[in-house]
Amino acid sequence: MVTILSEIAKYLIIFFMVLYTVKCFTVLKPVSSDRKRRALNVQIFYVFMIHFLCYMTLYLHYQKKSILIFYVVQMIVSITYMVSYHAIYKESSRLITNNMSFLLLIGYVMLTRLDFDLAKKQFIFATIMLVVTAFIPMLIMKIPQVRNWNVFYAIFGIGFLATVFIPHVGIDKYGSNNWISIGGFSMQPMEIVKIIFVFFLASSFLKAKDFKDMMKTVIVAGLFMLVLVAEKDLGGAVIFFMVFVMMLYLATGKHMILIGGGLGGSVIAVVGYMLLKDHFSHVTVRIDAWLNPIEYIDGSGYQVAQSLFAIGSGGFEGSGLCRGLPTSIPVVTSDFIFAAICEELGVIFGLCLLLMYLSCFIYFINISMKVRDAFYKNVAFGFTICFIFQIFLNVGGVVKFIPSTGVTLPLVSYGVSSVVSTLIMFGIIQGICVLENSGVDKNVTQRLSGQTEWTENSSGVRDSQKQNKRRKTEYRDEQKRTRAQKPADTRKTESDEFWGE
Amino acid sequence: MNSGENDGILDKKTNDKKNIPVLVITYFVVLIFICMFAYIIVFMVRDSRTFIANSYNDRQSLYAEKITKGSIISSDGNILAETLTDDEGNEYRNYPYANVFAHAVGYDSNGQAGLEMSSAYYLLTSNQNIVTQTYNKLKNEKSIGNNVVSTLNSTMQSTAYDALGYNDGAVVVMEPDTGKILAMVSKPDFDPNDIDNVIEQSQDSDSSYLLNRATQGLYPPGSTFKILTALEYIHENSNYQKYSYECEGEDIFDGVQIHCSDYAVHGTVDLADSIAKSCNTSFANIGMHLNKQSYRDLCEKFLFNKDLPYDGYYRKSQFKLNATSDDSDIPQTAIGQGDTLITPLHSAMIMSTIANGGVMMTPYMIDRIESCDGNLVKTFKPETYGKIISASDARTLKDLMLGVTSYGTASDAFADTSYTIAGKTGTAEFNENMDSHSWFVGFSNVDDPDIVVCVIVENASSTGASAKYIARQLFDAYYNYVK
Repeated sequence: MVTILSEIAKYLIIFFMVLYTVKCFTVLKPVSSDRKRRALNVQIFYVFMIHFLCYMTLYLHYQKKSILIFYVVQMIVSITYMVSYHAIYKESSRLITNNMSFLLLIGYVMLTRLDFDLAKKQFIFATIMLVVTAFIPMLIMKIPQVRNWNVFYAIFGIGFLATVFIPHVGIDKYGSNNWISIGGFSMQPMEIVKIIFVFFLASSFLKAKDFKDMMKTVIVAGLFMLVLVAEKDLGGAVIFFMVFVMMLYLATGKHMILIGGGLGGSVIAVVGYMLLKDHFSHVTVRIDAWLNPIEYIDGSGYQVAQSLFAIGSGGFEGSGLCRGLPTSIPVVTSDFIFAAICEELGVIFGLCLLLMYLSCFIYFINISMKVRDAFYKNVAFGFTICFIFQIFLNVGGVVKFIPSTGVTLPLVSYGVSSVVSTLIMFGIIQGICVLENSGVDKNVTQRLSGQTEWTENSSGVRDSQKQNKRRKTEYRDEQKRTRAQKPADTRKTESDEFWGE
Repeated sequence: MNSGENDGILDKKTNDKKNIPVLVITYFVVLIFICMFAYIIVFMVRDSRTFIANSYNDRQSLYAEKITKGSIISSDGNILAETLTDDEGNEYRNYPYANVFAHAVGYDSNGQAGLEMSSAYYLLTSNQNIVTQTYNKLKNEKSIGNNVVSTLNSTMQSTAYDALGYNDGAVVVMEPDTGKILAMVSKPDFDPNDIDNVIEQSQDSDSSYLLNRATQGLYPPGSTFKILTALEYIHENSNYQKYSYECEGEDIFDGVQIHCSDYAVHGTVDLADSIAKSCNTSFANIGMHLNKQSYRDLCEKFLFNKDLPYDGYYRKSQFKLNATSDDSDIPQTAIGQGDTLITPLHSAMIMSTIANGGVMMTPYMIDRIESCDGNLVKTFKPETYGKIISASDARTLKDLMLGVTSYGTASDAFADTSYTIAGKTGTAEFNENMDSHSWFVGFSNVDDPDIVVCVIVENASSTGASAKYIARQLFDAYYNYVK
């Protein structure tokens, strides 16, 4: 009986996952806000069906009461979060909260399956962070000065990254020394510094007036990456480099940056590899393992080979929860969780998960395109790049599309620092969304122009002030016009209209 | 940077302009995700099976809990491997032919090899009818796995096994137009029914009876390699028919002394005579005129130094000569000595390519998968690996090799056949004492080739065995019993 129930649950999970993924994209279409709201509610229904079926299977297998309790607590937290967040921030995007909650829930399911203690730990930290990050949109409205602190970001970011070199604080994990441990609590500074790095670039590019300023920014950004290289954190360095090139491209609008960045990156990679072969012995090993995991299966290829065994053995429909052997993959709870998902929930589920991430990426891109506040445009774009490349590096490494670089799968992998930093990024993007949806609040712009430092930065103070004023009035008028075109009541209830435009 | 964003708020026009990079990046990201998607799907559809079948994958034990492993059956319907249950209810694998199919069928305990490895996934998948399967699941009983019908033919395999006798060596028989392997024998051998003991003993002895010499044995090709040397000469000299050389039994090329077998003096030979009589000095002479790089390119086109399209353990053949090699390396290389090494399977594949008009077929051993109720689950169709040489080159080589069996080195073995044979003998020296292995590789029914046979007998100079006579037995068996 148990087998039959689990078997049915397996196919139902895939069925609901496919429907959920389809909704992720169809909801982008411009339809009436009423239909959109309904679609988003249906999405939540799918989430809870999948969540229920997964925990049912887990309970049937382990027969432990604590799993049921854990399930109920997760339900309460997720529903409370989704309802109250939207109640507090009417202008927030429900799509983002839906996806965010769902990703966390998938993570809890897999971690419950793989290591119950880690699941509980992940849940506690994520829940705390959900509460903390709920204040972010408020802070964004209240503290517009964040755009001016580029020097602080640079010093704090590099300083924090460098803490791993302090003896007894920095520790080695998986061949890189990019972890710190204070009082039994360990974390990866890179995860937090990612956010600071994006803020640093956004703020510096905004303030840069001439070529010299740009060069300064480039040099400081290079310092960030050098520290990562010194830590042997290759995945981190690649993400930082991508974020840097992409944000520079956005700031300058020059297509040459992309080509130059691509070429430059390859040259740095090749030369760096040649020079630092010994320093990066674990990287050489990873590349060999990538090219032919079976040949090196007794050593470096073991992890990737096990990952491919898992994905292949699970097949498109998966073995069903608890009926595969994902625990044979080293580090399965963090870097290789995608292989475990593919094996037990199926490759179809895995592909849907990827599509879901991609849909998140498209929402984020949507936000950064809409945002007219140049600083937050940079920030939103930086986070988007950070987010999607991390997914690419993780999944690509797991399926042997690219060499494995040891980064986590956002919100799904176990990893306190990773979850904390991803939730902060989601919170900030949500805040930017709220900021933009509330029509670039008069207060914000006024406070901005009231700042002396701000106006001093502009060339030909008086002239530009006049221009600025005119531009702001234009902008407000435009906002009013768009607002007027919509029925007043829809705006109040449905902020996701934002996406439909 | 520009005035449009001094106050941090962009006007619509500037914003639109700023969004161009965002759009470019979006398309770029979507593109790499599509590639990754395609990669995953290709992996699942095409490559995953080889990974799943790997003996390091512990998941087969998970399948085995739900499914009783199916049987491996020869193309003529004999059971080669099956699952039986002993008195205590434990399942074990039984191999009715014992040593005869040892390397081809392999084993499934203490690791895996042969068909047991490459078809493990099919054997552990069940396509029994869905009602029975569901019923089994409800009753917590095992379903019966699918059967794998091999291309291996039990008559050909037994003939090859017997013909090789007590000699060490290997035999490969394949169909040139399909790539089907009909027989694959390697000696010394072992009894897969007793594999646990065999493996235990192999750990304390140097004997390599677990090694499948047909795919993993690297031998100097000897004179069989002259086929490729001749082909390269034909490519480089359109008037190759006018080639002539005065063989005096021995000669010196770039300081390297080369002599013909038993110092035989062949007199004036053209290209056809050189092949038929396997004249070493003439071929060393030909080699000295070849372009080293294009010689190497030709060999690499025939998959020397390359991966073979073969699903199982094998080793890559080796051809070392290149554009920068010393000229003194050429004479030995041209006659198949020197650093060149080849596996019997690869040798059979090269001969198949010539027999098949220049088109190489991917060799395979699984013909089809059937459910335990006898329903067809999957058929493996012949796959073309690629066109290696032109049809006219293939025809030319066929004609040259007809001379070998009609008046050349193999004429004694094939004098009175009811079918035509083209092929090449080889004597491959493997040590300083001139001890040598004996090769024969060739195909029958030259105008519409039926089978390719490749035989190597190790250390034949001491045992007195000869590969061409073993090949003859195989061709006869094929026309008497199989075709």
